[in-house]
Amino acid sequence: MAGTNFATMGIREIQAGLMNEEFTAVEVAEASLARIAEQDKDVHAFLETTEEQAIEAAEKIDMVIDSGLDITVIGPLAGIPVAYKDNMNLQGTHTTCASRMLESYVSPYTATCVRNTIEAGAIPLGKLNMDEFAFGSSTETSAFGPTRNPWDLERVPGGSSGGSAAAVAAGLATVTLGSDTGGSIRQPGSFTGTVAVKPTYGVVSRYGIVAFGSSLDQVGPFARSVEDAALTLNAISGHDPLDCTSQPVDTDFTANLAEGAKGMRIGIVPAFMDAEGLTHEVKVKVEEAAEHLRAAGAELVEVDLPNAQAAMSAYYVLGPCEAFSNLSRFDSVRYGYCDPGHKDLGGQYEASRANGFGPEARRRIMLGSYLLSAGVYDKYYYPAQQVRTLITADYTRAYEKCDVILMPASPRTAFKFGEISDPTSMYLSDMFTISLNIAGNGGMSMPCGLGADTNLPVGVQLQSPQFKDENMFRAAAALEQVYGKAPVAPAFAAKAGE
Amino acid sequence: MKTMEEVLQDWEAVIGLEVHCELTKLETKMFCGCKLEFGAEPNTHTCPVCLGMPGALPVPNRAAIQSIVLAGLATNCDIEKHTMFYRKGYMYPDMAKNFQTTQGPKAFCMRGWLDLAVDGRGAKERLFWDDLAEGETSENMTRTADGYTAHVGITRIHMEEDAGKMVHIGGGEGRIAGATHSLVDYNRAGTPLIELVTEPDLRTPEEARLFMQKLRQIFLTLGISDCSMEEGSLRADGNISLRRRGSTEFGTKTELKNINSFKNLHDGLAYEICRQAEVLEEGGVIYQETRHWDPSAKRTIVMRVKETADDYRMFPDPDLAPYDLSDEFIENVRAKLPELPDQKAARFAADFGLSAYDARHLVEHRFTTEFFEAACEEAGDSARDLAKPLANLVLNDITAYVNANEGVDFAATPFTPARGVQLVKLLAADEISSKQAKEVFAAVLEDDKDPQAIVEERGMKQVSDTGAIEAVVDEVLAANPDKVEQYKGGKTGLIGFFVGQCMKAMKGQGNPKLINQLLEQKLN
Repeated sequence: MAGTNFATMGIREIQAGLMNEEFTAVEVAEASLARIAEQDKDVHAFLETTEEQAIEAAEKIDMVIDSGLDITVIGPLAGIPVAYKDNMNLQGTHTTCASRMLESYVSPYTATCVRNTIEAGAIPLGKLNMDEFAFGSSTETSAFGPTRNPWDLERVPGGSSGGSAAAVAAGLATVTLGSDTGGSIRQPGSFTGTVAVKPTYGVVSRYGIVAFGSSLDQVGPFARSVEDAALTLNAISGHDPLDCTSQPVDTDFTANLAEGAKGMRIGIVPAFMDAEGLTHEVKVKVEEAAEHLRAAGAELVEVDLPNAQAAMSAYYVLGPCEAFSNLSRFDSVRYGYCDPGHKDLGGQYEASRANGFGPEARRRIMLGSYLLSAGVYDKYYYPAQQVRTLITADYTRAYEKCDVILMPASPRTAFKFGEISDPTSMYLSDMFTISLNIAGNGGMSMPCGLGADTNLPVGVQLQSPQFKDENMFRAAAALEQVYGKAPVAPAFAAKAGE
Repeated sequence: MKTMEEVLQDWEAVIGLEVHCELTKLETKMFCGCKLEFGAEPNTHTCPVCLGMPGALPVPNRAAIQSIVLAGLATNCDIEKHTMFYRKGYMYPDMAKNFQTTQGPKAFCMRGWLDLAVDGRGAKERLFWDDLAEGETSENMTRTADGYTAHVGITRIHMEEDAGKMVHIGGGEGRIAGATHSLVDYNRAGTPLIELVTEPDLRTPEEARLFMQKLRQIFLTLGISDCSMEEGSLRADGNISLRRRGSTEFGTKTELKNINSFKNLHDGLAYEICRQAEVLEEGGVIYQETRHWDPSAKRTIVMRVKETADDYRMFPDPDLAPYDLSDEFIENVRAKLPELPDQKAARFAADFGLSAYDARHLVEHRFTTEFFEAACEEAGDSARDLAKPLANLVLNDITAYVNANEGVDFAATPFTPARGVQLVKLLAADEISSKQAKEVFAAVLEDDKDPQAIVEERGMKQVSDTGAIEAVVDEVLAANPDKVEQYKGGKTGLIGFFVGQCMKAMKGQGNPKLINQLLEQKLN
């Protein structure tokens, strides 16, 4: 094992090493945990590590290998270090959602997607930082301090799944899971140069994910290669009897990775490429990516999403409404933060929620409470649902002309801490991602080089029709042929080599 | 305070009911796999879903949806094929998620109705029905032979989940006032619950009582709930307002809660009618408020004043996809509909030649229906002949016994349907008198013996020997010459005196029919 660098390895490499007895799964687990202990001080991707569960899982893998079986019989993630956004329940761990409200909360059960990874052989390393209750685009709203971008520690990793993105970018885990309600996987994926996938709504069970916007939330993987992301999605996708919005998906997302882009129709939305707020360096890199696909034999076609400009407004109605309702259970009575000394229920409710939730959570709750109230509901909620229907129809029409739609994942590269303090400016960093959650389609951010001005990763967003997520994986694999696998951020790649 | 009868001369009561029924016959809760069980150790039937743990999601119980569709079909509702579950937000510890999953403007069952047959004393609560000719209709009321039928609209029946149970400690009688702390039992949280809302079509407390009784009988027949008002699996809230006779505007209503029996529903509404009339007649104002019926104090008291309408922030539950019922599903449920009480009554009338009155009262309760049906089966070929005395036995003796022995399960008593048939056969063959039959009925329950055995043991055989009776009749007439004179002088009511004297002489065993016949022969 001496000289083995798990931090930069992919799923197939680790599994080959295990099978060839170059190292054991316990060694993978121990080395990963040691690396987190050492390197995560700078990044703060992890809120909790799960040493016992990691070693226990690794020992099981080693037993299978010792018995002479092929480890892939266990599952596609056998022996792979995986970590989870802290809104995912893993029995016996804290699931804080990066909030004071749930600081002391210990999960009594395990989320289906987390259980699926462990049943597929994953080594669970721990839980990852995020914006409080996934409200944010920078991980700065975490009650336990922000996560830093491994590419530049002065900058944010994006959010809300900032910890999941940073852990992969810094080589602290092979793959991680995040959740995406309005761009919370794709935008941090773009900021950290990782492959970041938000599948079609319903591909992955939401059971056990602390809900933000139930009709918008979807779980997906972060990885440093398209194949690793596809293998992880294979492990977590499919119908779950505990989530009636999950669908019977049995797609093998690795199936068409080698097919190349030849013959694919790639949709470009001209209005998006000229959008106000899109930085020049991002525009250039995204256009380059499109050209690379054309060069590989794809056809570029213009498509229109005429109602997409209303997505942001619809999102900031539907998201807060659902969040208000979903977060009403945090009332200090059965679990979570309880403000001490109150003699009446109303007082305890008020003080516990005022002091347990951070400012962004309180803002969304108040917004949702207002939007759902009598007399207001009809003016906002209902039109927002109509917008949803229109945007979904836009996509359906656009996909008559193309297999994948290509656009930026974020209008800019990672910004500095504190650089965006106005909430509405922060909301605009999701301008390219939100319409997808509104429609429920799949999308992913694929690294496409570094921006010329900031020298930071840029992500190109590939989107596909509902339950045709394999389309975007195919285009992403074609781009990977050009750009190579996503690297560990330079400062951490150097440390990994030590 | 005026009596209700007096009040209703000037005022019309407008009553609507909201009925909650827990689907206790199901195996599991509405949105999770937890077992349904009344009276289990607190918080032993719970899981992340019904405890509202972060991340848990609901999955609808298909069997519960079958049950509500059954309820809808049995109450003449339209079944809505496309409905949605909604979240109804309110912060209280009995609902762990702080919202209740229920249905929105469109429920599974919409626009139903039930017809109530009102007769006897109960009919007297409603005015003017006897001004109508039989078959004539006024508003929702149609005159029948022995009373009237009230047509009561059902607005909707929707599916929802029950809350947990709170127990307040340290205050009086478990009440929250003065309590130091509260305990919550989430075993009940998530119990499938259907809520039926009627139109404001009820006009008297008796109609409200009959509606509940009929609904309970239907739900019991469907087998969807144990419908125990005591244990709270069937609960009714009554909305009531008054308006001047002739007015078509609605008055301000109060809502009556804590109704755990048919009698309390009736008496609580009757009290509210009187109370509201007194307030209004003194120039006062009725406040829209929730009131609690206290049966021991025989009055209603204010629980909560509704100053503004509650804002529940209802919106479609994004965790539950819109629920689509296929025609096939609905037809499969329809095929499972058992014979409903009204259909059963019609069959009793047709098959056994019973009066409409007898038939409908026989299906009012489970014990009456079941006993009558089992007895008819027992009677076999003679069922049609014995049906009327069997109906009398059930509606008089058995009903009186059950009413006098609260909570008794008549099916578990020694008075079996077979013994019932034996008893009415003895009566029909004039072997015992109807008075003796009552004694035998009581003795069977007491001694657990066949009627035949009791009759023999007690030497109760009715004397139908004409010679023996004639001797007694002659004796009685000879002993009372003055009374005979008076009778012949036109005081024919004295016949009762002579019958009584004969029966006394025969120790109650004489056949009253024969005694009557012989007396009349000899006196006229």
